[in-house]
Amino acid sequence: MNAGTAIPAVIEPTDGLGPWRRYICRVCGLIYDEAEGDVDSGIAPGTRFDDIPDDWECPICNVTKADFDPLVPRAAVSAPQAATPVSRTSGVVIVGAGTAGWGAAEAIRALDPATPITVVTACSGDVYYKPELSVALTRGATPSSLRRETGAQAAARLGVRLMKETVAVGLSPASGTLRTTRGTVRFSDLVLAQGARSAAPACLPAHLCWRVNDLAAWSGLHAALSCGPQRVAIVGAGMVGCELAEDLAGAGHDVTLIGIEELPLLAMLPRPAAERLAAGFSKIGVRFLGGRAVGKVERIDERLRLTLASGETVEADQIVAATGLATEPRLARSGGLAFDRGIVVDPKTMRTSAEHVYALGDCVTIGGAPCRFVEPIRGQAEAIANAILKRDHSGYAHRAPVIRLKTRSTPVVIEGAPSTAGEWRVLQDDADALVMEQWAGGARVARLAA
Amino acid sequence: MAGALALDQHAFDTSPDPVGETVLARTRAISDGALRAKAHAIDEGHYPLEIMRDFARVGALSAHLKSAGGNFGLAIDAMRAGARQCGSTGFLMWCHGVFGLYLDHSENCGLADRMLPPHAAGETFGGTALSNPMKSFAGIEPMALKAGRVPGGYRVTGTLPWVSHIGRGQYCGAIAQVVDASGAPSHEIMFVLRCDEPVELRQCPVFSGMEGTSTWGLRLADVRIDDADLIADPAKPFIAKIRAAFILLQLGMGLGVTEGAIDSMLEVESVLGHVNQYLDNRPDEIAGELDELAGRVAKLAETPFETSTDYLIDVLDARAQASELSLRSTQSALLHQGARGYLMSAAPQRRVREAHFVAIVTPAIKHLRSEMTRLSKVAQPAGALT
Repeated sequence: MNAGTAIPAVIEPTDGLGPWRRYICRVCGLIYDEAEGDVDSGIAPGTRFDDIPDDWECPICNVTKADFDPLVPRAAVSAPQAATPVSRTSGVVIVGAGTAGWGAAEAIRALDPATPITVVTACSGDVYYKPELSVALTRGATPSSLRRETGAQAAARLGVRLMKETVAVGLSPASGTLRTTRGTVRFSDLVLAQGARSAAPACLPAHLCWRVNDLAAWSGLHAALSCGPQRVAIVGAGMVGCELAEDLAGAGHDVTLIGIEELPLLAMLPRPAAERLAAGFSKIGVRFLGGRAVGKVERIDERLRLTLASGETVEADQIVAATGLATEPRLARSGGLAFDRGIVVDPKTMRTSAEHVYALGDCVTIGGAPCRFVEPIRGQAEAIANAILKRDHSGYAHRAPVIRLKTRSTPVVIEGAPSTAGEWRVLQDDADALVMEQWAGGARVARLAA
Repeated sequence: MAGALALDQHAFDTSPDPVGETVLARTRAISDGALRAKAHAIDEGHYPLEIMRDFARVGALSAHLKSAGGNFGLAIDAMRAGARQCGSTGFLMWCHGVFGLYLDHSENCGLADRMLPPHAAGETFGGTALSNPMKSFAGIEPMALKAGRVPGGYRVTGTLPWVSHIGRGQYCGAIAQVVDASGAPSHEIMFVLRCDEPVELRQCPVFSGMEGTSTWGLRLADVRIDDADLIADPAKPFIAKIRAAFILLQLGMGLGVTEGAIDSMLEVESVLGHVNQYLDNRPDEIAGELDELAGRVAKLAETPFETSTDYLIDVLDARAQASELSLRSTQSALLHQGARGYLMSAAPQRRVREAHFVAIVTPAIKHLRSEMTRLSKVAQPAGALT
């Protein structure tokens, strides 16, 4: 609202009602500034909004005074900055900035300093070591001590463009485009490193139960536990559930671990090992409730109540859902990629069913099964980097990673590939150690030490 | 043309047309004939009700309704055929189509029985005033209309800045926030707003496009809405049910505008192809993207009332992509045609403005992206740091 030819002198309010205020039209966003008035409509500079006649109209969109709100400036939102100027050449685009995403960026950069790389991630892109999350509370870690590097620092170090807090929503392999919530990105090669999400059932709703699958979620739980010892119920006695149970107990919390099997980790461990684990838990004060399914969770005042299928109830201040992970199929399916509990990849090249689209880490299935461990990621990233840069490379060779259960009360190490059909033989079982081997088809397939 | 159509006007009701081929062929005949000829006049302000009536008669405006088998794919394709020649008319087809959608899914059967048959047949016309409520439900702006309960109905007050495909004797679907005597909001109602006295229709400022869509500002001062005109009370569950379908239908606009842009590029290929080869976004590239998008849209249109979050994100993603593709393709079409496309009467420059509209009409690209971000987030227990 400009007075046209004459530039009005700035007038100061003298009516004792405080400084001039501004009002915004809800409809078109025009701002009425009391200092300036609306000279074109005959409203003199220095006219209080309240004093404008009721039949006055917004000079842009003709709505009335009633459609104006006091202008309350919002905090400026700064768009996440790209670490390097946007490259105009389409290059490699990586979806996800966890261990797999940054691992792929590092592998490509190690081979070629020039290939443009863009990392698109829904999170902040901060770098941390994920296995640390299940032992961090006992060690007194904090979100900042777990953060090795911010996303921006990693992006600068690797010379990549980081699009943080950006969700990849759609994929068209044929046109080489990835649609995101901050615009469409073109790629010559795409690497999916989107990870997996909690597969907690509906009876463990996300607004009541923690899912500790990334640093952001861990930070939330850490903050919630910061006011002193609490009662924590962990649902799911797989690897993550068992590790978190010990970690929480070690940090002084009162822990109840609830599992569907009668012993912890029985789906993976032979009975003598699971018994040893259960005994270890009991020694450090973790209450294990085996053979229980969860019925529902409800908030009652400040507490949470878990009702088990058996009718028993467990009261807790915090509940953690550790019931396994699943790959989100939406993005892969939007691009027509083969999907079978994870993104199906060629076990040697890590290429998906589409040309120029690769995947690694928690989001893939190799030979019909996901393999959600950190160890294979480095080899997968190297194979992808070599394939993208068309270098001679023997490719990725998948083998079962060594599994180390980070439970200090009963550390468990499994080498090889335990199968559900094999027969476990005890080599040693005394106060010092339990050593077992699994045999299947006349061959030793796995070895366990606890 | 009009005569031939008049003879045909009941054919679509009686002859079996399981995949809608006849509806689509007739819709295209109207679009490529009468509509194409009037596109410039519509751009300058002509409100093409006569074309809309023809579209209705061949079934182009009712394909998605239960009475026609609920064929959303066909409804989108028909809208695409219209928008290919005239984006404003494509938008009118959407406005008309979603009003039909509201009535078709309203539990107020008496209202639907009275209004839906003449609406679907193009005997009466009306649109939708849901831009503000949709943004309000997404937390983007406050609700513009307020309602107070009175015996047998509500009294509604407020201003809606621009509502299209309305006029005296017409109507639109609207939503108001119900407030109690103390001014506290309780819930929302959705109703048919009849654009007659005492509703005030106010001239809108001149827009850079969409001038032929009969767009007015609406001012309501204590206007009575009878219970008989309620589409949904409360409105929110109803909106949740139709939201994906509402957005999905808009795809017809973006697909059609893009297809029109490809037409304009190809039109000059024989004379300008030797220099146009140096341009980005050539017709074959755009056509490839359009086909891929249209294929996904056709698939989504098979289940317009699916309620999963993934489905809704897929619909929003397609809608955003259609906006981006419209912007890119119409810009390219203008560059392909050069000065001839820059004439005020030329389709390419008009389509650039139509694409801008596709990209900013609710839900705008920025709203779509913000909503997809929200839907992708995993909740955390209360009190958590984010």
